[in-house]
Amino acid sequence: MNSIIKLEIQKKTFKKKGFSILNDFDLEVKPGERLSIVGKSGVGKTSLLNILGLLDTDYQGNYKLFDSPVKDLSRNKLAEWRNQKIGFVLQESSLINSLTIEDNIKLPLMYGNVEKNLTVQERFKRITNKIGIEPILKKKPLDCSGGQRSRAVFARAVIMNPQIILSDEPTASLDSENKEKIINLLFDMNKEFNTTVITVTHDLDVANRHERIITLERNE
Amino acid sequence: MRILRFFILRIFLKRPILVLGMITLLFLANYLSFTTVRSVISTFQGYGEMENLNQEGTIIANLDPDSEADFNEINIEDTQKVYEYLNNNYTYALRVDGFVTSLPNEHKMEVPFNYIDEEAYKINQLKLSQGDHLNFNYKFNKDDIPILVGAGLATTYPVGSNIEITDPVTQQLVNLKVQGVLKKNTQSSNFYAPNSKNYHNFSIFLPINEEFIQNAGLDLHVNGLMDLVLLDSTKEEAMNLRENIKENVGLEFNFFNQQENFDFFEDYYLNSLIIICTITLILTIIIVGLAIWNNLVSVRLMIRDFTINLLVGLSYSKLRAIFYSYFGILFSIILVILSVITAYNRYGSWLRNDSTFATYGIFGLISMDWMALLIVLFIDVIIAFVIVELTIKKIKSIPISVGVLQ
Repeated sequence: MNSIIKLEIQKKTFKKKGFSILNDFDLEVKPGERLSIVGKSGVGKTSLLNILGLLDTDYQGNYKLFDSPVKDLSRNKLAEWRNQKIGFVLQESSLINSLTIEDNIKLPLMYGNVEKNLTVQERFKRITNKIGIEPILKKKPLDCSGGQRSRAVFARAVIMNPQIILSDEPTASLDSENKEKIINLLFDMNKEFNTTVITVTHDLDVANRHERIITLERNE
Repeated sequence: MRILRFFILRIFLKRPILVLGMITLLFLANYLSFTTVRSVISTFQGYGEMENLNQEGTIIANLDPDSEADFNEINIEDTQKVYEYLNNNYTYALRVDGFVTSLPNEHKMEVPFNYIDEEAYKINQLKLSQGDHLNFNYKFNKDDIPILVGAGLATTYPVGSNIEITDPVTQQLVNLKVQGVLKKNTQSSNFYAPNSKNYHNFSIFLPINEEFIQNAGLDLHVNGLMDLVLLDSTKEEAMNLRENIKENVGLEFNFFNQQENFDFFEDYYLNSLIIICTITLILTIIIVGLAIWNNLVSVRLMIRDFTINLLVGLSYSKLRAIFYSYFGILFSIILVILSVITAYNRYGSWLRNDSTFATYGIFGLISMDWMALLIVLFIDVIIAFVIVELTIKKIKSIPISVGVLQ
């Protein structure tokens, strides 16, 4: 099976800070794979996720996503792919506090121009029902618990049915019960839709539940 | 459009203090620019009129501010001697205004009379919307006196109609015949304050000839000297007149030739304009600086909102378009407020029955206002460009992955 992610990085340099990370780092990921990335702080886990998620294109090397060289994609195309092909599961604080939970979850629909799409509406109902956040849809994030916000972030990441889910410390501030819920939701998605899941985590328990673990190390 | 609406209603307006702060700052910048630009336009409009008058050989009289005159001592025989001397030795242009009468009209405005002689009429080149220009060879007390009326009087006193009135300067009952109607917003600038205007929408222009001047009272005679313009004359000839006036009337006049008048304009008006423009520029830069600071504070407070949107599909180019549209809307609101305030000020002249400043215009604004608004719009485009580009640069400098967790 062809890789959907083919990354060959020579280095990612932080000019102002005067150092580089991800030196000679290669990565290939196949569709439906569950991959976790672990390593000490500062080795470049989040930077790698930013590169994979098309949030950062300032590095030396080549990155092919769905067989397309990322550096050839326009900024608009990058934004379109972030909207339609990639879902980001970040920490529970990554919600807009002035919007309701429902509006936060539906935010990607506006950019995909599919707000009125019935399939998407159905998906919204199914997801919110499955993860048990229907009662809080009209609430603002600050009126919800951390676990509820995490599930809302998850719902927002999967609402467009992406082919890749990138999660960055998705369970960092959660208790064990909510951590379990989020991990299960990620893996259910992986099973149901063959979605590729890439998780950056410090939590070895979470990392061990993925098919493949990549450990990043600082190489000078 | 949906995305713009979303940003305005759900993101920007959620922090109303910042929006109000921005509107206030931009309004100040606009108001300041608008008043300065309008003042510059008005001054150069006045300068254009001054250029018409201030030709080579033209010498303009001006009462010496140090002249210790006792106006009660002046009598009509003395002034008549001066005018006889003038008629015999000079070509001059005479225009006297400020005589207000209560001539009935539909807008209940006081009607100022402008007395103008043939030379002054040639110089002023008044434009008509109806009827014919004035003729000056009528016989006083025998013929009807042909007059021009302002546009605001045209309905009450159309071309061909007659007005019987006690003339304010001769105090005699005269028959006036409307010969023409002035174009709307016909105006004159003050020669020594070119940005100050008198509008003639409710004025009557009455032609004066030697016979009329002889029959006129002291007020016209004395005021006529104040605004006297000698044509094809020399400084020496003007000094002779100065002596004659001093001898007969006891008033001391200065006479300024073309170069002296231009020098006066440069010394007082050009330099003042340069100072006003410089101060306006500095204040505008400070205000725009504050507006930029306000916007960068907004960005810092809203960075999570922006980056979350960028994360889920918003592109930087769309975000830039949103900011341009947002500032377009803010500037439109501000320009509308500015227009309403200006129109209300102009309308105030109608409410106060102030015929000197009552003007006609589209939505109450005259051409000078529209021109100033157009220039302010151009300034706004530059301000919007600076603010938006700095804002986008600031947002781009914050990585999306960092911004979403702020």
